[in-house]
Amino acid sequence: MGARAVRAVRGPVRVRQIRQVLLALVLLAVGLVMIAPLVWLVAESLTEEKSAFSLPPSWTPSPFTVDNFRAVPGLIPFGRMALNSLLVAVVSTGGSLLVSVMAAYAFSRLSFRGRETLFLIVVSALMVPVQMTVIPVFVLMRTLGLVDHLAALWLPALINVFAIFFLRQYFNTIPRELDEAARIDGAGHLWILFRMLVPLSAPALAAMTILTFELSWNSYFAPLIFLSTPEHMTLPVGLVTLQNGQGGSSVVVFAAITAVVVPVLAVFLVFQRNFVASIASAGLRG
Amino acid sequence: MTTAPVLTVPGPPAAGPGRAAPAAKRADRRSRWAACAFLSPALLLFVVFIAGPFVVAVVLSFFSWDMLTPPRFNGVGNFTTMFTDPLLYKALANTFVFALASVVTHLAGGLLLALAVNRLMNRVLSYFVRAALFFPFVISWAAVALLWKYVLDPTFGMVAYYLDAAGIAPPDWFNDPSWALPAIIGIDFWHTIGFTFVIMLAGLQTVPRELVEAARSDGANSRQVLWHVTLPMMSPTVFFAAVVTFIGAFQIFDPVQIITPNGGPDDSTLTVVMYLYQKGFQSFQAGYASAVSLLVFVVMMAVTLLQFRGARRWVHGR
Repeated sequence: MGARAVRAVRGPVRVRQIRQVLLALVLLAVGLVMIAPLVWLVAESLTEEKSAFSLPPSWTPSPFTVDNFRAVPGLIPFGRMALNSLLVAVVSTGGSLLVSVMAAYAFSRLSFRGRETLFLIVVSALMVPVQMTVIPVFVLMRTLGLVDHLAALWLPALINVFAIFFLRQYFNTIPRELDEAARIDGAGHLWILFRMLVPLSAPALAAMTILTFELSWNSYFAPLIFLSTPEHMTLPVGLVTLQNGQGGSSVVVFAAITAVVVPVLAVFLVFQRNFVASIASAGLRG
Repeated sequence: MTTAPVLTVPGPPAAGPGRAAPAAKRADRRSRWAACAFLSPALLLFVVFIAGPFVVAVVLSFFSWDMLTPPRFNGVGNFTTMFTDPLLYKALANTFVFALASVVTHLAGGLLLALAVNRLMNRVLSYFVRAALFFPFVISWAAVALLWKYVLDPTFGMVAYYLDAAGIAPPDWFNDPSWALPAIIGIDFWHTIGFTFVIMLAGLQTVPRELVEAARSDGANSRQVLWHVTLPMMSPTVFFAAVVTFIGAFQIFDPVQIITPNGGPDDSTLTVVMYLYQKGFQSFQAGYASAVSLLVFVVMMAVTLLQFRGARRWVHGR
């Protein structure tokens, strides 16, 4: 980067090199400390039960085994929970993006009376914490008979005020002349939105997809309140039931945690750039 | 350069360029219909799941309700109870301590790490450090909390072992009232520092290079550049990170609920949202829980308004 130009003005070469080495060592240590618990987690989950959790902590699985993973489904319906998590995350993400894209189009492109006021009202909901609405929503779900159903999770997730706000801001940066040109060519609103604005907003949509999916996948509060039978649970709540007894040994708990964590880390490594960029962009625009 | 749409998705027929006079009025009406159609799913969901429940929560805070028998009007009873509820004070104190500690550690740590990584020349190492810092943030709190319960375990956890090896007697973190909350603060730092770091790094990269170079050629040393150029230019980022961290930290629930479901030793890890959860969903005092949630809302709103004001007046370049 431009650091090099700056650096040219700074002290002699030798001092610079020593500094770089020191900096590198410190940061390497920080990085290793950060991932140490995760390495330990994976190593122990692959270690035979009777040798696990030896001290000093071992960083490699020895003796190696995958039996701990085989024992997980005996304690919790892991596959079912993973499927539930996936279902809720996919429906919440897809559905809320569709709803948000349409609302953002109306707020950005259509003129009607009270548009700005309405937008302000919707956006002010960003200040309302989930904990405040959860009791009435719970009562509503109980009336609808949806408690302990996955719908109790994805239905309220379809309204994503932050996505509406974020996408409207993004749509506003796309020149209106494009719409007018398309309209003169005979395009309707749906065409303009889905064939023009949506493709042009790919970066913003990717960011929202990643954020929404991640939030849903990791969510703990709502599933804790709405779900009660193991077969209906999502992974985070299911995982926590493991620690409350059930007679499972610690290595099996570790295997379950590993099975939850490793796929997420793999996905993260593949999409790291988009991931970090979406967090940063959503953050800095807020 | 938008090519003529060959495939017109069914929708309101487009106004042809030929009809001019009544077309404007018709287009206006059409636009209103379209607005209705495009907004109705979002507005319906908004009313059912946010605005409606919000109003209901405000109303409920003036009632006593066990969620089974009909609600009973209680006037301001819930609020007067709140003022004399020692457990709520405890929860509020814990939450503020946690939130402030969280803001201070995240801002300082995130800023230092961003400055350091930004100076690092080695590409591979830089990639590794950035990934390692961000890793924990993508993991669910449930997994993080369970893992750290083991990491901090006094008998077979790795932290206890290394502290012992360094000659420090490790505390029994979650059974010691003076160490339970600091342990949660530490775990939260591990989990969320990557987020603050990324925000800070992005902010750092918006500092104009010319400014730094100009200061340098005027003879400023690294420290002067940092204090008089980089940090002032980053003030919007720092301010934003502080607000976001505070709002997130004030609503802390997952790790405390998972690690110390009963509020920890001497209620030392009881937070406001946890208290709200206990009142609403364990002792079924929906009215009282709503009153507490109103308090959380007021704090959130105060901080958000502070952010707007601060963003307008105090912060650089907005």
